Order: sequence, then structure tokens, then C-alpha cells
Amino acid sequence: MSAFVAFVALALVKATPLIFAALAGVICERAGILNIALEGGLTAGAFAGVVATNVSGNPYVGVAAGLLAGALVCGTLGIAATRFGVDQIVAGIGINLVTTGAAAYALVVIFHSPGASPEVRGLGPIGAALLVLGAFAAAIAMHVALGSSAWGLRLRACGENPRAVLAAGTDPRRVRVVATLIGGGLTGLGGSYLSLGELDLYSDGMTGGRGYIALAAVIFGRWTPLGATGAALVFGALSALQFVLQRTGIPSELMAALPYLAALAALAGIGGVARAPAADGIPFDG
Amino acid sequence: MRRPRGGARTNAIAALVLVAIACIAMLVAGTNPIAGFAALARGSLGGPHQLAETLVQATSLLFPALAVAFAFRAGFFNIGAEGQLVMGGLAAGLVGAIVPGPGPVAIVAMLAAGALGGAAWGTIAGGLRARFGGSEVVATLMLNVIAALLANFLVVGPLRAIGAESGETPSLALDRTLPVLFAGTRLTIAFPLALLIAAALWFFLARTVAGYTLRAVGDAPLAAARAGIDLPRMAVFAFAISGAIAGLGGATIVAGVLHRFNVALSPGYGFIAIAVALVGNLDPPYIVLAALGFGILQNGSLAMQSLAHVPKDAVTIVEGLAIVALAARRSIARRTA
Repeated sequence: MSAFVAFVALALVKATPLIFAALAGVICERAGILNIALEGGLTAGAFAGVVATNVSGNPYVGVAAGLLAGALVCGTLGIAATRFGVDQIVAGIGINLVTTGAAAYALVVIFHSPGASPEVRGLGPIGAALLVLGAFAAAIAMHVALGSSAWGLRLRACGENPRAVLAAGTDPRRVRVVATLIGGGLTGLGGSYLSLGELDLYSDGMTGGRGYIALAAVIFGRWTPLGATGAALVFGALSALQFVLQRTGIPSELMAALPYLAALAALAGIGGVARAPAADGIPFDG
Repeated sequence: MRRPRGGARTNAIAALVLVAIACIAMLVAGTNPIAGFAALARGSLGGPHQLAETLVQATSLLFPALAVAFAFRAGFFNIGAEGQLVMGGLAAGLVGAIVPGPGPVAIVAMLAAGALGGAAWGTIAGGLRARFGGSEVVATLMLNVIAALLANFLVVGPLRAIGAESGETPSLALDRTLPVLFAGTRLTIAFPLALLIAAALWFFLARTVAGYTLRAVGDAPLAAARAGIDLPRMAVFAFAISGAIAGLGGATIVAGVLHRFNVALSPGYGFIAIAVALVGNLDPPYIVLAALGFGILQNGSLAMQSLAHVPKDAVTIVEGLAIVALAARRSIARRTA
């Protein structure tokens, strides 16, 4: 029984950053921005969290800084994509390169330690648990806000038919920027959970493609907050299973590949039609 | 469709801003920018060996950049050059390790296997797009990770049987490696081969009916469909060719640079290649020039780090910013439903 509890705990630990990033993906895509920069948002959140904690000595300040850094990174994508006619996909790839490079560069300049930062004071079990609860709270809040508020309806309309939104008197570009800012903040929380909740340090590549797994979770969860959260939980459990099954001979790479394979299967229509919002990833420039 | 934006003036401003950011990055790291750029130039252009190594880097970028550009011109996002590079390299490494026969035959077989491996990997994304309308962006991103995991699994697992260990296939016999152009360097016939591919792509896109059709699909998909062009078939075709070019690049890295397949084959060439393709305006002759420029950056960044103490990651920042800046310059692919 205690082994089961330990497994569930590990699955939650592994799922939490995925839930944050997947929710970010949902809100951005429902507003019409295909946000490849989720990975960059996670990286920025993880790194800024460690730097701010190192300066202030308070991990909660670190989490706040992580939130802001994530919002800055994804918000940049949102503003670039809506105001400067920048292609979302290409800019997202560029932003991911910039954040990875900037974090690696800043590790050397700030901490004089290439590869990984020194350890900082982490959130501890209670703080980490609060962030885990925060992930679920965010999922429920987003479910309600998207599904049952005028604001959510407008946001979803921006992802389906931005021209209609404009005709109804709201600027879809503004809605999209707001979506990337909120989503970015969520990725920042996910990133700071990685560096302050799970490990107490930042190391290069620590996000490990979670931003891309989150994109898979969005598809697998059919672009809904609760669906994506469920998918992130499944992917988190798979990741925890890797540790359990380490000695059974099942290749860990297969387990690691399952989320990506699941996303491909969903794209191929296995398990019901996976239809993205009609205007997902399509620029709108007024 | 959005008209291409900007022109020489915008490009010059973008270039100046990037240089300014590079200077700031050097100043923050405590280095005089002049010393930083001098180190970068010395490390990439300072002598015959540095030049050769710069061309090696340029070659490794040129293949995936041409691959990315080819798909873009047909209106498709191939974010998966990285995975296609890995699959091509893996196929080449395998063939080189197990196929019998004289050296030159083995080399041709390796390059062919690389192109096929990359094409197969690209075709998965193209097929998903063609058959189910699934986003090729997401599909190629997923396939990148799957390729890395698959390669890792094979090399540390089943391929032990042919002598693979610690993330590598067995080292190739010397007569199975690509001939070098200049003794004592790693610059091989892969460089002229890449130039040849660039020339062939230019000819195909600019001078053939099939190339015109492909560009028509990229520029005006609805009109192309009305004119009777089979768009799904085009998606598969574009991704197969694009994947083949990237896979061939992976094979040249295996046969020419590493002399074995290694899971760390690519330090992100497939992503930097997007910057190279965009800087080269998706036009093969200019992509060659862009690849040379990025080769200088890639190769010089190490010297900049060791001689001028600027973290080499400063170059990654500049490359990423270049992508963001250039993403605005033209309507890269069709984005209407």
C-alpha cells in the first residue's frame, strides 16, 4: 500500500509541471495561438525562480519571479504574433532557442557555474504541495472561466473565428495577447515547480521537452482544460512508472515515448476525432 | 496572404540590432566586444584548419536548412529536421556497421540509407497531414523526440549485438568514411555534395514545372487545389524530399565527421537550420551563404568562449533572436484554414 502511495506521489510530482504547461497550451490554442514557446516559458520560470530565490532567500519570491518570467517569454510571442505579423511557429522556435541560450549564458555570468546553478532554498514539501494544488485549482478555474463566462466565450471565439469577434466589438489581438500572458504565467509556475519544488536548483536542459509533452497533452485532452489535465496526469504516471519498471526489462525509452506516440495517434484520429480550434495558429492582423 | 515585408533597410536594422545584442552579451560577460569578435573571427577564419572546421559546421547546417526551406516553399512547416537528421544518421551508422562490401559501395549505401531513413521519418508527418489533416508542426515536434528516444534505445539495447556501446554504433573502418578534401581536416566531400543539392534544389524550384507546382501550393493553396493539384499528395512528396535531404545530412555527419552514429549527433542543427533557411530567404543560393555565416558563428563560438571568456551560449541567443526577427519578413507558409 505504501508503495502505491509513493507511486501516486511521484506521479503527481511528475505531472504538476505538465499540468501547468498543458493548461497554458490550452488557453493559448483556444485563443488561436499555437504556442511552441511553452518549453521556453518553463525554462524561464525554472531559471528565474532560482535566481530570485538566490537573491531574496525566499522561494515564494522565486515562484513569483518564475511566473513573471514565463509571462514575459510567452507574452513576447503573443505580442510578436499579433502586432508584428511574426509567424507563431517560427517565432516560438526562436524564443525557445533564446531562452535556452540565455539561461545557459546567465548561469555562467551570474553563478559562474556552467551546466547547473548552486543549490538554493527550495519550497519544501508544503510549498511544493501548495503548487500541486495550485495546478488543479488552475485547471478548474480555467474550465469554469472558458466554459461559463462571457470572457471565456470571447476567448474561444478568437480561436474559432476571430473576424466575428472583431465584428462584435472586441479586438482579437488583445484577447490573444492576454491568453499568452496568462498561459506564460502558468508555464512559469510549472518551471518554478521544477527548479524549486522538485530539485532546488536549475540545470541546463532540466525542462527536458516537457513543453512538447504538454502540447501532446493538449491534443490528447482535446483542447479542454480538464482533458489536458487528465492527459498530463496520465503522462506523469507514465513517467513515474519508468522508475517502478526500471528493473523489469521494459525499455524506459518506450515509456518515455508513449506521450508523443499518443499525440501522434490522436492526430491520426485514433480514439475519436482530434479537431484543433479552427483558427489555431492562424495569424490575425485586423 | 500577407505580402513579404521589409527590404534591405529592415534587414540592415535587424542585423545591427543583433550585433548590438551580441555586444551587450559580451560586455555583461566582462569582455570587450572587439576582443570578443576578434576571438570569434580567429576561431572560425584564422587559419586553414579553422576555415575547414567552419565549412564542416556550415555543411552540417546546410543539409537541414535546405530540407526546412524545401518544405516551407511547399507551404509546410518541417520543424522535424532534427529528428530526420538523427534517423538518417542512425540508418547510415547501421548500414556502415553491418553491410559487407568494398568501401566506396558501403559509402554510397550509407548515404542512400540516410536519405531513406530521413525520408521515411518525414513521410510520417507528411502522411498525417495528408490523410488526417493533423498539424505537421506538432507531428514533427513529437517525431523529433521519438527519434531521439528510438536511437537511444537501439544503441544501448539491441545494437549491442553488433558492438554498439555507450550511445554509439561501432566505429567505421577508415575506407568507409567520406574522403577528406584537405589532409588533416574533417572537411570531406560532404561539402561539395551539399552545394550540389543546393544547386539541384534551386534548379528544381526555379526552372521545372514540378517546382513551380510546389511553389504554387505554398503560395496559394486554394488556387492550386482549384487548378487540380492534389494537395495531400504534395504534402507527402514535400515531406519525403525534405526528410531525405535532412537524413542525407545526418548520414554525412556519421560518415564524414563522427565516423560512427552517436546519440549526440546533432547539437540542435535541425532547429538552427530554421534560422539558416530564413536568413537565406528560403532561396538555395542565399541559404548557402547563410550556412557559411552560421558556420562561422557555430565554430567561432568555442574560440570566443576559450579566448575571450564569453559563454558560447551567447551565439544561441543571437541565433534565436535572428529567427524571431526574420519570422516577420515574409509569409512563410500558408496559414489559412
